[in-house]
Amino acid sequence: MSTGQIHDLGYKRYVGSRRSVGTRWRVIMRHQIATAWRGWWRFKMWLVAALITTASIGAVLYFMHDRVLKVLGGVGGQAVVKFADGLVPFSTVFYCKVGFAVSLTVSATLVASDLQSGAFTFYFARSARPVDYILGKLAGLAVLMAVIMAVGPLLLAGVRLGLADDLDQLITLLPMLGKELAVGVVGTLIYAVVPLGFSALTDNKRHALALWAAYYIVVGSMAGGVAYATTPAVAAIDLPACLHTISLHLYDQRFGGARSPDIPTAAALISVFGHVAAAIAVVFWRVRRAQQTGVGGAS
Amino acid sequence: MTALIELASLTKRYGAITALDGVTAAFDGKIIGLLGPNGAGKSTLLKCLLGLLPYHGHARVLGLEAAADGAEIRDRVGYMPEQEAFLSGMSAVELCTYAGELSGLPRTEAMQRAHAALYYAGLEEKRYQPIDGYSTGMKQRVKLAQALVHDPEILFLDEPTNGLDPQSREEMLHLIVDLPERRGCAIVLSTHLLPDVDRVCDRAVIMHRGAVRFAGTIDELRGARGRDSELFVSVKADAARLAEVLTAAGATCTVSSPIALQVDLPAGATSQLVFATARAHGLQIRELGVRRESVEAAFLRVLGDDGARHSDAPYRTAPGAGGRR
Repeated sequence: MSTGQIHDLGYKRYVGSRRSVGTRWRVIMRHQIATAWRGWWRFKMWLVAALITTASIGAVLYFMHDRVLKVLGGVGGQAVVKFADGLVPFSTVFYCKVGFAVSLTVSATLVASDLQSGAFTFYFARSARPVDYILGKLAGLAVLMAVIMAVGPLLLAGVRLGLADDLDQLITLLPMLGKELAVGVVGTLIYAVVPLGFSALTDNKRHALALWAAYYIVVGSMAGGVAYATTPAVAAIDLPACLHTISLHLYDQRFGGARSPDIPTAAALISVFGHVAAAIAVVFWRVRRAQQTGVGGAS
Repeated sequence: MTALIELASLTKRYGAITALDGVTAAFDGKIIGLLGPNGAGKSTLLKCLLGLLPYHGHARVLGLEAAADGAEIRDRVGYMPEQEAFLSGMSAVELCTYAGELSGLPRTEAMQRAHAALYYAGLEEKRYQPIDGYSTGMKQRVKLAQALVHDPEILFLDEPTNGLDPQSREEMLHLIVDLPERRGCAIVLSTHLLPDVDRVCDRAVIMHRGAVRFAGTIDELRGARGRDSELFVSVKADAARLAEVLTAAGATCTVSSPIALQVDLPAGATSQLVFATARAHGLQIRELGVRRESVEAAFLRVLGDDGARHSDAPYRTAPGAGGRR
């Protein structure tokens, strides 16, 4: 017979109630946030980068708010914009860089990593459904990304409100909070959902990471170049340029730049929501497939 | 009374391939061995029972229809997968707690039960270390613990002793036998290691080509060859002579060595026939016992002609295994 000794701490049947299936996504969301928070390099490092970005821009905004913001190239003939009015919408450029870094460490490998490790068998042998997995992961990533893409710009908007000359100007500037919130939501969607879609394209996390980085950096830059030769709408493939366009549109400003010709706002919005919809569709397809093949081996 | 698992005209097709072909059966018992060659339909059956695949017909687990109540079934069933199914970077305690929460347990309860399940599975202090660094045996224990943590009524164990050294295998089998006694859960053991089935299961289900070829107790699996009328006999000398006289008395004999033979008694006869015949012809019996067919042999017999093809590859004797005889 066995040489092993059985340890039992006093087994008791579970007689309490179980939480409804509809709450599983919250467990997955919590786990996603906790996983990203663990360790220094996944999220904390980039959170510090976002804080430094916010503090730096906030300081510039505070000390230089009355000066004229020099626009790169002066494209569009609207070069005379004060720092106080131009810096907050322009700040998306910096947050996009941090958002991209977080997408690489947190979201771009997520589904591929779970496929590689057999995690779907773990999830779907339980009462979690594909929709719970997707909702939980998206919600977790959205919370993390919103801290980068929405909280920082909102703080900057707060600084700008604090610099208002009088109550009337403060009231005039109040919609800025809504605009920054909108930009934050769009930025969160871009950097939480789209890389998640890329992570579902392959079952190898390194490949997924490379695909997302290549699409973001190479394809985005190429689209900007092609847009100059053809039509500006082509540049809408470049997601940070889209966010920048939307942000400037909300403030009725146009900056342009080497990498972002004047993308029509409608094209930018269609591109962002098209990317997001495609990403969710790919993730759902992959997760649904994993649910059916993952448990009990493949037949 | 409702059986643990009830199947009625269960059919599952993948395009032109029929994975389950109108299966009708009911399984009950403490430890049920689920056997069948690769492609027999075991995995498809498990997926249907967990409510992960659409199907035609009926598949009920604990009285619940899998197609409609899959989530509830998965809350009441534990599944230990064959392949690794971990989340990288997590410790065993974290994984089991997460598993409990995903099965609807409150966090505190899930954490308490995770510790208890891991302790039961024999992980003790190592439960705090990341799973990535565990040995195969430890990973098998974690898989068992995560399947147990939410207090399931049925456990599906897929190849639980795969890759284990003889001692770890013994310990895993010990746990499997202990589970129904201590925790009151039934076990469905899907394995290629027939000696494991022989050792721990009280019932067996044999699947082949999408159909259930056999469902019953292990003794029933041995069937006619497990009757008391099939004997092995050792004699002091001249087994051939004893075979000759027993054949004359109506028995069917096979001489396996000069001092040993196998005897199938005629209907209504008992072992007394052997003793009486031997005494009458001056032959001395050294040993006599009921000949039991091994589960391997019974399995191959149930598969019929296909059994010969499967006799060497997927079904094997485990290292250090000694089947029940």
